[in-house]
Amino acid sequence: MIREKRLVVAGVIFLTVAGFAFIGLRLRNLHGSHLLRGESVWRLAYDIDFPVGINQRTYIAIPDDVQCSRVFRETFSHQGIWMDILRTRRQLAREAAIVPIVGRQRARFIAYFDIYVKPGAENGRVAPESKPAPEEIADYLEAESGVQPSSPVVSAVINRMQSEQASKGGLLTAIFNYCSETIVQQGMDAPSDANGTLQRGLGTTLGRARAMAALCRAAKIPARLVVGFVLDSTQNAGKHYWVEVYFNRSWLPYDPENGYAGELPARFLPIRRDGVNIVRAEGSAAYKGRYSIRRLPYPSVLGAVADNRIWSVFDLTRLPLGMQEVITAILLLPIGALVTAILRNIVGIQTFGVFTPALIALSFVQADWRTGTVVFFVILGAGTVARLILNKLKLLVVARLGVILTLVVLCMVAAVSILDYLGLTPSASAVLLPMVILTMMIERFNVTVEEDGYRRALAILAGTLAVAACCLFVLRIDALARLVLSFPEVQLLNLAALLLIGRYSGYRLTELWRFKELT
Amino acid sequence: MRITRKRLFAWPGELRRRGVLGINRRNIEYLFSLNARRLYGLVDDKIITKSLCAEIAVPVPQTYAVINRFGAFKALAATIGQRQEFVVKPAKGSGGRGILIIVGRNGGKFRTANAETVSLDDLHYQISTTLSGLYSLGGQPDRVLVEQRIVPHLLFENLAVGGTPDIRIIVLCGEPVMAMLRLPTKASRGRANLHQGAAAAGIDLDTGRTFGGVCCNRAITVHPDTGAAIEGVSIPYWHRMLEIAGSVSRAVKMGYIGVDIVLDVNHGPLLLEANARPGLSIQIANRCGLLPRLKNAGSQW
Repeated sequence: MIREKRLVVAGVIFLTVAGFAFIGLRLRNLHGSHLLRGESVWRLAYDIDFPVGINQRTYIAIPDDVQCSRVFRETFSHQGIWMDILRTRRQLAREAAIVPIVGRQRARFIAYFDIYVKPGAENGRVAPESKPAPEEIADYLEAESGVQPSSPVVSAVINRMQSEQASKGGLLTAIFNYCSETIVQQGMDAPSDANGTLQRGLGTTLGRARAMAALCRAAKIPARLVVGFVLDSTQNAGKHYWVEVYFNRSWLPYDPENGYAGELPARFLPIRRDGVNIVRAEGSAAYKGRYSIRRLPYPSVLGAVADNRIWSVFDLTRLPLGMQEVITAILLLPIGALVTAILRNIVGIQTFGVFTPALIALSFVQADWRTGTVVFFVILGAGTVARLILNKLKLLVVARLGVILTLVVLCMVAAVSILDYLGLTPSASAVLLPMVILTMMIERFNVTVEEDGYRRALAILAGTLAVAACCLFVLRIDALARLVLSFPEVQLLNLAALLLIGRYSGYRLTELWRFKELT
Repeated sequence: MRITRKRLFAWPGELRRRGVLGINRRNIEYLFSLNARRLYGLVDDKIITKSLCAEIAVPVPQTYAVINRFGAFKALAATIGQRQEFVVKPAKGSGGRGILIIVGRNGGKFRTANAETVSLDDLHYQISTTLSGLYSLGGQPDRVLVEQRIVPHLLFENLAVGGTPDIRIIVLCGEPVMAMLRLPTKASRGRANLHQGAAAAGIDLDTGRTFGGVCCNRAITVHPDTGAAIEGVSIPYWHRMLEIAGSVSRAVKMGYIGVDIVLDVNHGPLLLEANARPGLSIQIANRCGLLPRLKNAGSQW
């Protein structure tokens, strides 16, 4: 008794000290390395809804690798359409080409792009490998929708500038200054075409960009519009517009709204050149596009290993992001075990299976808990009904479990497909529950109903769900996920806590109720 | 008249003063140190317990057959023969789960203690699920025991509904420390486990007379189904039972066990099983905590 107590106390002290020491050592190390290098990781999400479907081929421009940003992972899910990814002629955009599936009305396109941004020079500049053919450049001198280089207003402005500036470079600077300084930025009701913007001296972001393009084209400088995003956490990201001017054998970016000339900050992400729409349709397509941007938590990404010293094996953040998610989930499981131990040994809640609640919670961490819960109860209900029917067939145990497992799998697959069809969940992984665990839980639930009655079975089920909910509440904490990944040493502290709970000999909270008659 | 409001819970300090043993403390201070893991097999498997009892001359219900493989069904029919009464139970079952009590038959149809009718096929199915480990701890493969049905002593005629009452004695290092009489009710469906809804009364260790009473965590004095008094019942053969409990505990070499004894009308006290993780509800039935008695017994060891 005494010896065990001493061993446990020694273990707890050792683990705690070691845990904090390791964390402290690595914190010092981390400060010098890649945390402060200005890199960032973003997730750009597309959610484009075609309520009445599409009837022809439609193209959606998607992010591509440019100087300062790299798309290192992308996920697509779509309904009612076939999709293919291609690059446009002349490298103006990377596009997802979508065609309708016959017989499907509604179409929806959902995509995530995980983008790694690293500051660098010449962002936004496009240098063609060979000198473009004159007719290719000639396209960028013509009039187009909203850009009217030969209108009287544009001519008047450019004539005045040409009389003051002799060189082409000076003229370009004058045009940019005019569009970014003289023309005033206004909101929605300001003009968004070149003519109107120059006439009234005010315009939207698009209006000012078009004004600049029109003035350049009038001055015989090839210019084109670019639509893209500025990476900044927002639920409803607005499109941003700027101009690219062909000058000195390369396309240089000019942003009249923010005043960036010749180079853009790293967070400017071009999506489509020579166009102002993300979605380009051959026919007419009514659609609602929603774009959101959020910053991803991990401070470092693939390929960003700071040093090759042996110490870096403790740095899990150097792993590829896809692997980081899996590793985070694995590292969260012991934390789930700690929560379970607290609730079972100190609170005294009974559950089906020791780690069932923690595993269920873990599968909910990445998912939408509402759809997950619905699917969970559908599977539990279907499994119970099936179990009642199977009882009559008198099957051997392993075969019976196999039948229930099959049923659970089918329910899960059907749920994924139905949720996708209804457009309720953007990602199928939202409902991937631990199937073997659920099968055993259904079996144990039914055996308990048979042996100890519904009341007790439901009480244990409620206990299981309560523990799972507590685990979920803890495991969903974003900071915790980052902590276990950045500092796997936290597991030592977790071990210390588990040792302490393992020697807790006080009353469980439920025993205070159970033995109340004894006072 | 003063109305006392029913309390929802007790404070830990109150329970400690009353010497109530909690489950964590039972595990850490008694089970882990007094019951060696390697000995659990002796009590977890009823077939092993029974053979052990034969060596120390402790009476047990008569075994008709042990079934330890699938397909031994022909043998089952032969074993049963023309018997009218028998019990089919898993060797490693717990909490009375998976036990089928046959109290009569009409050709190929058997009547169970809770008045259901089962066929030979049903019996086969029950045996095969038991063999697969449905009722055993941790789902290990199990064996099936076919044995004599206990006919409860006439004393219990009005005290047990649908099953056999038994006497649970907690033994610490060979010394009985607390006992209770467990009585099946309608709610417990013939089983004698408190958490399944059975009633219980404490037993005075010296006199063998019952006192107090509990059912579903409520204090009672009469059986919830029959209304017969459960207090003041003198248990026959009481000292023989204490002897049985002590010798079983010494035979299995475990320091903290619960011994379950039934009282058969013809054969007297028979050992039903021993339990290496005896429950704590016995404290509620006795209206008294276990800790002071465990300390006294422990000091004599």
